Amino acid sequence: MSTSAESARRVLVVEDDPHLAAGVLENLRAEGYEVAHLADGQAALEWLQSERCALIVLDVMLPGLDGFALCHTLRDQGNNTPVLFLTARGDPADRVRGLEAGGDDYLAKPFHLKEFLLRVRAILKRWDWYRSASASAATAQLTFGGNEVDFRAFRARAWNGEAQELTEKEAMILKVLAEHAGEIVSREDLLERVWGYDVYPSTRTVDNFILRLRKRFERDPANPRHFLTVWGVGYRFLVEGEP
Amino acid sequence: MKAARVFQLTALALVVISAATVGWWLYDAHTYAVEKMQAARALYAGQARAAEALLAAGVPETRVHELLPDITVAQGHAALSAQADGELRAEHARRHRQYAWEGGFFLLALAACIAVIARALRAEARVLEEQDDFLALVSHQFKTPLASLQLSLETMALRPLEPEQARVLIERMLADLARMELMVTQILESVRLERGRVDLRSEPVELAGAVARVLAALAERVQGQRITLESDVAPGLYVRADPLALDVIVRNILENALAAVAAVGGGSVAVSARARDGEIELTVRDSGVGFRPADGARLFEKFTRLHPGRGSSAYGTGLGLYIVRRLMQLAEGRVTAESSGVGQGARFVLTWPAAAVPGT
Repeated sequence: MSTSAESARRVLVVEDDPHLAAGVLENLRAEGYEVAHLADGQAALEWLQSERCALIVLDVMLPGLDGFALCHTLRDQGNNTPVLFLTARGDPADRVRGLEAGGDDYLAKPFHLKEFLLRVRAILKRWDWYRSASASAATAQLTFGGNEVDFRAFRARAWNGEAQELTEKEAMILKVLAEHAGEIVSREDLLERVWGYDVYPSTRTVDNFILRLRKRFERDPANPRHFLTVWGVGYRFLVEGEP
Repeated sequence: MKAARVFQLTALALVVISAATVGWWLYDAHTYAVEKMQAARALYAGQARAAEALLAAGVPETRVHELLPDITVAQGHAALSAQADGELRAEHARRHRQYAWEGGFFLLALAACIAVIARALRAEARVLEEQDDFLALVSHQFKTPLASLQLSLETMALRPLEPEQARVLIERMLADLARMELMVTQILESVRLERGRVDLRSEPVELAGAVARVLAALAERVQGQRITLESDVAPGLYVRADPLALDVIVRNILENALAAVAAVGGGSVAVSARARDGEIELTVRDSGVGFRPADGARLFEKFTRLHPGRGSSAYGTGLGLYIVRRLMQLAEGRVTAESSGVGQGARFVLTWPAAAVPGT
C-alpha cells in the first residue's frame, strides 16, 4: 500500500503494447511523476484494490477486461481516481462512451506527446485543486438546507436522511459552486474547472449534472432553493437557500 | 461495385416481375381453359335441347344423330355422348398438363434465378461487412505502432537525451517500423489467401531446412532477451508443401511463440519434429503466457487478442496464426493449439502429409 504522498504523483499506465507503454512511462518519469505499469485490465483492477495513484492512463482495447469495463467497475466500487483514456478508436461515439464510463479525458492514438502531457497535467491540476480545496476539516464538509456533504469521502446525507454517493464530477461541481456561494458561476467556468478545455462538446452536460444535484439535495427539485438557474448565464448556489 | 449492385438489384427485380407474369399467365390460362370447357358444355347443352326439339317435332333419332353426332338420344332424351364427353375432358386435362409443365418449368427457372441473385447479393453484403471490419481492425492495428513511433520521435525532439537513451529510442522506432512492415506483409498475405490468389506448389520440402532458415533469422531477435530457442528437427523429414509457404508458416508460428514468451519476461521456445502414420508433425512448445483451453480455436481467427503479448506485442499483428491456418489448409495439413491455461505456456502442433524422400 502506497502512502498518500507517493500516490499523489503516481500515474498508473495500463497499456498492453510494450513499446507504447515504455514511451509513455519514460516521458511521465521525465516529467517527475512516479509510474506503475500493467498490461491488462484484470491485473490493473486487482492492483487498484490495494494500491492508489493520482491518475490512470488507460488503453481501451485491452485483452480480457477492456478499458471501458475497467473504468465502469472502478466507479461502481467507489474508486474516483481520474482516468485518461488512450485509444486507437477516436470516433465521437467512442469518445462519448469513454466519458460515460467515468473517464475524465480521452486521447486518440497516435497522439502528440505535448498534448498528452498537457492533458495529464490538466487532470492532475483539477484534482490537486479539489484535494487542497477539501483539505481542512472546514472545507471538507458542506452543510446546507439540512444536507451534509463530505467532499473527501464523496458521500453525503440528504435532508431526508438518505445516504448519497457522489460521483467525482458531482462533488467537483458542488465544490466549485460552494467556493463561490452566492455568486453567479457560468456554465463555461464549471466546464473549465471540472472537465477541462475541450473534453465535452456542450454546456448541456453541466445542466444535466445540476439536475442530478437538485434531485439529491433539493426538497422540491422543480422549485430549487439552493441550486438556482441564472437564465442565459449559469448557476448560483445559496447555502441558506432562497427565501 | 455500386454499378454492379444496381445491375444485380435490377436483374432481381426483372426476374421477380417475370415470375409474377408467369404466375399471372398460368392463372389466366387456367381460367381460359375452364371458360372454354364451360362454353363447350353450354354449346353441347344447346345441341341437346335442339335434338330434343327435333325429336319432339317427329324427326327420327337416326336423322337427329346424323345432324348432331356428339349428342346421344335415348327414349326421347338427348345428352352429350360419352365419347364427346371423354374428348372434352381429355382436352381440358391436356391443356392443364401443358400449362402445368410449361408454367412450372418457367417458374422453377425463375425461382432458381431469384435464388442465385439473392445469394450473390447476400454474399456481397457479407463481403462488404467483412471488408469494413477488416479495415477497422487493420487501421486499429496500425495506430498502435504509429503512436509508439510518433511518441519516440517527439521524445527525441522534446528532450535532451543521453546517447544510450537515444539508442534505445532508435531501436524502438526501428522495431516499430519492422512491425508495420510485417503487418503490411501479413495483411497482403492474408488478403491473397482469403481471395484464393495463391498458386502454391506441392513438392517435397525438407522441414529441417525451413526451420533452420527461420531460426537463423530470429536468432538476432532473441539476443539480449531472456529467451532460449531450441530446435530438435532431424534432417530427412520431408513434407509435401510449397517451400515459400512453409517458411511463412514456420516463421509465423515461431514469431507467435516468441511474443508469448516475451510477454512474461522470457522463457523457452522448443521446436521438435517427428514422422507418424504417414504424416510429419512439427511441435512448437513455449513457456509463455498461454491461453484458456477453450480459446484454442479462436487463436487462429483474424486479429484475435487473448492476452497481452500474444498478438499485440512488439512483433505481433494478430494475423500470423490466421495465415498459418490458411496455409496449412491449402497444404492439406492442419494446425492445433493447446494450453493448460493462462501462464501455463502453449503447444502448437503442425501436421503435413509426409512426402517421399527425393531420389529414393
